[in-house]
Amino acid sequence: MTRDELKEHILKKYDGLLTPLETGVFDLMFEVKPANLTNVARMLRDDEQLKFDFLNNIAGVDTGEQFEVVYSLSSISNNLRLDFKLVLPYDEAVVDSVKDIWTAADWHEREIWELYGIDVNNHDNLKRFLLPDDWDQGYPMRKDWDAPDFVRMPEL
Amino acid sequence: MGLIKKVPVYAEHVPGGGFVATQLESVLSHAQACSMWYLLFATACCAIELMCTGASRYDFDRLGMIFRPTPRQADLIIAAGTITKKMAPRLRRLYDQMAEPRYVIAMGGCTIRGGPFYYDSYAVEKGIDHIVPVDIYIPGCPPRPESLLEGCLHLQKKIKSQKLADWHEK
Amino acid sequence: MAELRTEEFMVNMGPHHPSTHGVCRLILTMDGEKVVAIEPVIGYLHRAIEKICENRTYPQCSPLMDRFEYVTAMATEHVYALAVEKLAGLEVPDRAEYLRVIMVELNRIASHLIFWGVTAMDVGAYTPFLYGLREREDIMDLFEITCGQRLTYNYIRIGGVSKDIPPEFVPKCRAFIKKMWSKFSDYEGLLNENPIFLVRMKGIGVLKPEMAIAYGASGPVLRASGVKYDVRRNDAYSVYDKFDFEIPTQPNGDCYGRFIQRLDEMKESLKIVEQALDNLPEGDIKCKVKPKLKPPEGEVYSRIESARGEMGAYIRSDGTTKPTRVKLRGSSYNHLMLVPEIGTDCLIADLVAIFATLDIIMPEVDR
Repeated sequence: MTRDELKEHILKKYDGLLTPLETGVFDLMFEVKPANLTNVARMLRDDEQLKFDFLNNIAGVDTGEQFEVVYSLSSISNNLRLDFKLVLPYDEAVVDSVKDIWTAADWHEREIWELYGIDVNNHDNLKRFLLPDDWDQGYPMRKDWDAPDFVRMPEL
Repeated sequence: MGLIKKVPVYAEHVPGGGFVATQLESVLSHAQACSMWYLLFATACCAIELMCTGASRYDFDRLGMIFRPTPRQADLIIAAGTITKKMAPRLRRLYDQMAEPRYVIAMGGCTIRGGPFYYDSYAVEKGIDHIVPVDIYIPGCPPRPESLLEGCLHLQKKIKSQKLADWHEK
Repeated sequence: MAELRTEEFMVNMGPHHPSTHGVCRLILTMDGEKVVAIEPVIGYLHRAIEKICENRTYPQCSPLMDRFEYVTAMATEHVYALAVEKLAGLEVPDRAEYLRVIMVELNRIASHLIFWGVTAMDVGAYTPFLYGLREREDIMDLFEITCGQRLTYNYIRIGGVSKDIPPEFVPKCRAFIKKMWSKFSDYEGLLNENPIFLVRMKGIGVLKPEMAIAYGASGPVLRASGVKYDVRRNDAYSVYDKFDFEIPTQPNGDCYGRFIQRLDEMKESLKIVEQALDNLPEGDIKCKVKPKLKPPEGEVYSRIESARGEMGAYIRSDGTTKPTRVKLRGSSYNHLMLVPEIGTDCLIADLVAIFATLDIIMPEVDR
């Protein structure tokens, strides 16, 4: 299946659930509504023609205006690649866990919970992870984060 | 004084020599400087260079340096690699578990002042010298095995110049 | 007589432990010699590379990438350079791509040599460590004459490579390849049929292919479970489609399979380097890149096959000189997730073998 065929297939079969975006430079990029996440994820994995069984990466992003969570998927058996993302306003920073669908999501979700403060529903293991156990300085990957001993590099 | 320090060197050549008169100080420091057992404490990139130094080409063993997995058998910590805020209490604890006299080598830029992670990093300890006292600093990112060997030779010199009175003070 | 009763107890393995290859901590619940539960605790090497990148220009990020995965630093530079080139739409000269492939493959061999030596050391054989690092020094020499560094190269830059290879590189590299081919019989003779080694490795830590895929395992770990998937072939990047090489797999997915898998992969890498040297084109080594590089708005996830598995970089640009987000994906992250799954119910000594053959290094996990 080529890139265009994949796009066509998704648009035909998942109309309204996945909205194509033009920002993905090389691979396909779609937007998914946060409420539909688990639904879409399960369908992408179980669809015989797609079979996205391999979760490459989950990246949390703070754009300065909103949070985004980007999921990168690939299919081992059909050799396909696809990305989709959720857009979350600052005051509704909650995602559903996809740990049941791809086990690999476990730690990635813990990481966005810890570093961005994005809450993850239905995740049973949200504990301190990368930061020290006694960390109390908030969510360091947010753009507006600051701390007394945090030294920014001076502009050259 | 000058002559008596050379006694250990000449003693080997005394045919059938039964005993040797020397200063306790020079025997102790010689023995200590030539058998520094280091703790295998490696966190980041410098660990690979530490491994190379211990392996075939650079051959750390010829300085009498053998790695020990436990701090209780070690005389020296080579802090190889970045020390993060999460790791810093562990480094202090390992240091406390070592027996006196003990020495610390700070290997690489990260252990000296945070190295490339000085700016913009919320997680890196900016230098280990406010966690443990450091004897020798080896700059580099990472330092070459040759500079690590050089650093160890400097430490040997430092140990050999110690007086017994210093030991009591420590 | 009172009934015999056993009690579970906790063992803390790490963060300072010689066989955790860095600063990983495993909290083990033990029933005698048997491991009942494993909880990995990570973050002891979390250096916030991703946060630092957000306040650096694109070319300034590239030396930080070396520190993300220092055992195969060339591969990390490669994945970052590929991602930025895709974003900015840069066309890299052919010679640069060939040089990149040569360096990355040599680095893969160097990494597997460390793996081979350290794994053997973890299960009790010291000699392979000395042998492995002896051959690795030859590769370090090749890198040194090219870019002057032994470990953190900063050789692969955005748009090409930093320097052309010196004239003595090609004969030296060919000599190394010849030497390396002759060493494999040594390597294989030393351990592959050693009865003690076989008992420690065969049938231990079996990873089923479905589980490997669900956990996102990749690279040699995935292939040792019998899944023939290699990013170099399945999603060919750079000039990998021009080389002729096999993708070895192993049937069982146990520690022994993962061990043999890497020996086989070294041979394939040697073949690729040989072909790249034969067909090395003349020409530029770098395309024109503005010092203040401003890729257009967009985002990209690029991935390559590093020595440990799939390495990825997600980069988000907002049209300025600094990236909004750089997220690095290391395969050890997923492989460490596997440890509780396949390490439970085995002996503590087997856990060491499992940890070693997954070839986990911590900077990739913690970043």
